[in-house]
Amino acid sequence: MVVSSDLIIQVMIWGLYAGCIYILLATGLNLIFGVMKIVNFAHGELLMLGAYITFTFYAVSGFNPYVLLAASLPVLILVGVIIERTCFRPILGTGKLNEIFISIGLIYIIQNAAAIIWSDEWRTIHSPFEHITLKMFGVNLPLDYLIIVITTISILIVLFLFMQRTRLGKAMRATSQNRKGAMLMGINVERMDMLAFGIGAGLAGAAGTLWVVSGQVFNPYMGSIPAVKAFAIVIIGGLGSIPGAIIGGLIYGIAENFAILTLGGAWKDAISFIILILVLIVRPTGIFGESAE
Amino acid sequence: MKRTLGLIFIVFISLVLIAGCTDEQPSGEELKIGVVASMTGSASTTGKDIWQSAELAADEINANGGVYVAELGKKIPIRLVQGDDESTREGGQKAVSRMITQDNVDILVGGFSSAVVSAHQQIVAEHKVPYIITGASTPIITRRTDVDTTYMFHHAPTCDDSGSQITLFLDDTVRPAINEKFNFPAERPLRLAILYQDSPYGKGHQDAIKNTIANNSLSIQIVAEEAFKMGESDYRTVLTSIKNKNPDVIYVTAFLNEQIPVETQALRDIGLNKVFTAVEPNDDPDFYKGVGTYGDYSIVQSRFSPYTVPKGPTEAAYNKFVTDFDNKYGGFPGMMGVATYEGVYIAAKAVEDAGTLNKTAVRDALATIRMQQMVENMQNQTISFSPDYRESKFELTMEQLYWDESVKETRPKIVWPESLKETSFVLPEWYEPGQD
Amino acid sequence: MIDMNKTLGIGSKKARLIGVILLLILAFTLPLIFGMNLYLLTVLILMVIFIIYASSWNFLTYTGQGSLGHAAFFGLGGYASAIVATASGLSPFITIFIGGGMAALVGLFIGIICVRLKEWFLAMVTFGFAIIIQTLMVSQFAEISGGWDGIAAPRLVPSSIPNYQLIEYYSIVLIAVFVILLFYFILKSKIGLAFAAIRENEIEARAAGINPVKYRLFAFLVSAYFSGVAGALEIHNLGYITPEIFGVDISFWPIIYSISGGLGTLAGPIVGTIFITIIWDGLQSFGLTYLRFVIIGLLLVLIIIFLPKGLISLPDKIKGYLEKRQKKAQ
Repeated sequence: MVVSSDLIIQVMIWGLYAGCIYILLATGLNLIFGVMKIVNFAHGELLMLGAYITFTFYAVSGFNPYVLLAASLPVLILVGVIIERTCFRPILGTGKLNEIFISIGLIYIIQNAAAIIWSDEWRTIHSPFEHITLKMFGVNLPLDYLIIVITTISILIVLFLFMQRTRLGKAMRATSQNRKGAMLMGINVERMDMLAFGIGAGLAGAAGTLWVVSGQVFNPYMGSIPAVKAFAIVIIGGLGSIPGAIIGGLIYGIAENFAILTLGGAWKDAISFIILILVLIVRPTGIFGESAE
Repeated sequence: MKRTLGLIFIVFISLVLIAGCTDEQPSGEELKIGVVASMTGSASTTGKDIWQSAELAADEINANGGVYVAELGKKIPIRLVQGDDESTREGGQKAVSRMITQDNVDILVGGFSSAVVSAHQQIVAEHKVPYIITGASTPIITRRTDVDTTYMFHHAPTCDDSGSQITLFLDDTVRPAINEKFNFPAERPLRLAILYQDSPYGKGHQDAIKNTIANNSLSIQIVAEEAFKMGESDYRTVLTSIKNKNPDVIYVTAFLNEQIPVETQALRDIGLNKVFTAVEPNDDPDFYKGVGTYGDYSIVQSRFSPYTVPKGPTEAAYNKFVTDFDNKYGGFPGMMGVATYEGVYIAAKAVEDAGTLNKTAVRDALATIRMQQMVENMQNQTISFSPDYRESKFELTMEQLYWDESVKETRPKIVWPESLKETSFVLPEWYEPGQD
Repeated sequence: MIDMNKTLGIGSKKARLIGVILLLILAFTLPLIFGMNLYLLTVLILMVIFIIYASSWNFLTYTGQGSLGHAAFFGLGGYASAIVATASGLSPFITIFIGGGMAALVGLFIGIICVRLKEWFLAMVTFGFAIIIQTLMVSQFAEISGGWDGIAAPRLVPSSIPNYQLIEYYSIVLIAVFVILLFYFILKSKIGLAFAAIRENEIEARAAGINPVKYRLFAFLVSAYFSGVAGALEIHNLGYITPEIFGVDISFWPIIYSISGGLGTLAGPIVGTIFITIIWDGLQSFGLTYLRFVIIGLLLVLIIIFLPKGLISLPDKIKGYLEKRQKKAQ
């Protein structure tokens, strides 16, 4: 098989697109972990909810789905806050296994509630820009694709500004760096937990919306696989490290596509875990190794 | 002490309730048909279609008095029993064993996933219950040598059937069209790329293609074979890989949630201006809605379409079935629905032919049944089960999709076989053949 | 201080013994009471198999390891047993233990990687291994595994023997009793003490000279072995094995069963499997579909929050609540 530089560039570009979704998911996960020191395994279901809520708004109003993202984000943030308060706060500190298992319960609840509400038929959203493509870098880039990349970057910039410049953001960072210290400084850590979870959920919802608007067919079970990949990225990039999530997401998206090119599509999922396992063998706490406690 | 006893007691009572409350006495005054459907789990979209179509058939038959059983000297009604296999092997085992022993069904109809069906075949065989399997695309289920499959009847095309038909169509219709349009020599082989789902379904088609080419000495060259995981959404890399091999046609084995992104990404993002083929589960309203303009000129293999019906003997039955279903339940029954609908009628006819509810007699009647085709076109216009592996043979059609401005979606027209076609296959203007 | 009573089960020793004996009597007499009811036997057989499976998964949690990919062992046991039985003609009663061996062998490999990992890392890696093993089975090993088509497996008890299902049921119950007894003795021994020490405070355990890696690996092997045996039993019962056996649902059920019943206790998985199976099949007869999963999920969440020691701690909790009220009234 001749591997031309054209091919490599194209595969990298497709990887970049997949990377955006992973980045948003992984950043959300890392935010939650950073502040609360827990991992939410049900993160994929938040992605799915984001997609469905945008879909509902779209079906009702017919507005541009990218614009509707602004409407579905607050809904997802609210959902995240509710989940944090009702499920995770009561078990904070009772052991890591409990966090994992409660997430599994949440997965069953959210997935099947979605199936009841929206039925498990396959859905699509047709983006208004779906036919517009631009010729760049030797490939036909759909306009949607560019919008997704730009939207992702915008969201990340907004997040960055929030964390660095606002009081709330700084308080969150303080909580993630030293919870006890933050409490002593008078920061309401429980509110920080809610906020972190909410924003994390919002990011997941954004990932879900962007993913389906680009033309994916979705159903209530769509969230599981991307979420699992996001975990792998977070672990590889380093739990709690947002830069790690971004770089990890990009690398992951690209590596996956190269794996398909060389090993064949059947190995796509397995390859993610093989990479993860190899990394963990070499560094049991992840590349940028933040240890658990 | 008391607590432990209490717990045990609760467990005991609960088990009693479970075992007891669903117990049924065989009445002999009804034809009990157990419907094996995936009402929950990953295959649940088909489950509803299966159950509702079975209900429709049973209601129609009962409205005419029921099924005549000579031994009883009268007509008896059909009673359907629902068995949710939960899309899992254990669920199927439990549902089927419940239907056989608690509900005492006379016949089983249904089954969707090959994995689920193969897990409960043993119990069905042991209890000698006739089973009309209306799903499960793998031919293995009636060819197993470790269980007695003489009670199992496969009323659904296997991967071998549909795969071979598509391949034959590509050779006798598409290849000459390409060679003619581009002034290629008549012997130029068709350059075929296979994009298959990593599953028994996808692999089954992959094998069928190769076998058909070999057995018929077809002039088709397989230039690429790429797999993808079930549920995959991003095909750009595999499609790029395929593009590098310069195919004429891409044979895709995928479900509609995969086929839609495949065709969309291929045409829009990769610039793969080829003819794409889709397998029969894609002939569904959701596919047309989702694929939009990117389905224009693509091919769908079908036996039951929401938007077209072969003119002729099945047209009236098709219209009636589709309209009745929509009136009663809303929506399109899908190919799983229609197969089950026919399955219930086949069961009824077999019982009439046998003249008794005795399962072995019904089995024998099924083995030799000759029924006029109903909604789906069958080979020789007859529903019957092959003597070797009890498979019924369908007359599969190939459709080409054309953009219909009035509905803003593509619509299918049958282009093959000759006996059923509405129009001839054409290559689109933008089509680019592959080259070496 | 490590409370062995808490580890092993509920209530006083005498109560437990009577409870166990009653349960066994129930297990043996239930089918006889209801006659040769195929449905009941099918449900019971699958339930007891999952009791073995859930108990094996739960065994791993004694060392603080929560695996999300135990389907790998369940499936490997099934495949190995089916292949050996078909090829050699040996009775499945022997090959299930060979199947367990295959699962344990792979468990050794996976365990070596996993035992040094923190909880979520372990969870992800085990989850990933289930996927990797499934991918391998359908691609590299398709020749022997039958790929996506799967392979047939001989019955545990040939159908030519009268009352074969009943015999099958009793055999599986006996195997379950054997496995649970084995776990009981292991947990009661010094190994069990080491488990508890590692789980409660790894640093102190290390200081006391206990090597966590060795014990974690041991737990992994035992857990994998008997999960493999359970898988083999299921496959010989169903008669056919396909790669769907490596699915996520198979990995998650033992978790649900064990948590509902009581994590880290011997009785927990047993009670949990029975309870959830009853609810699950019971709800089905009401025609509920997706709602069933929502209910199970809710149950899980509620138990983790309000009843973290599982259902078997319910009697204790009620008793404690009543005692408190009594005290208040005085």
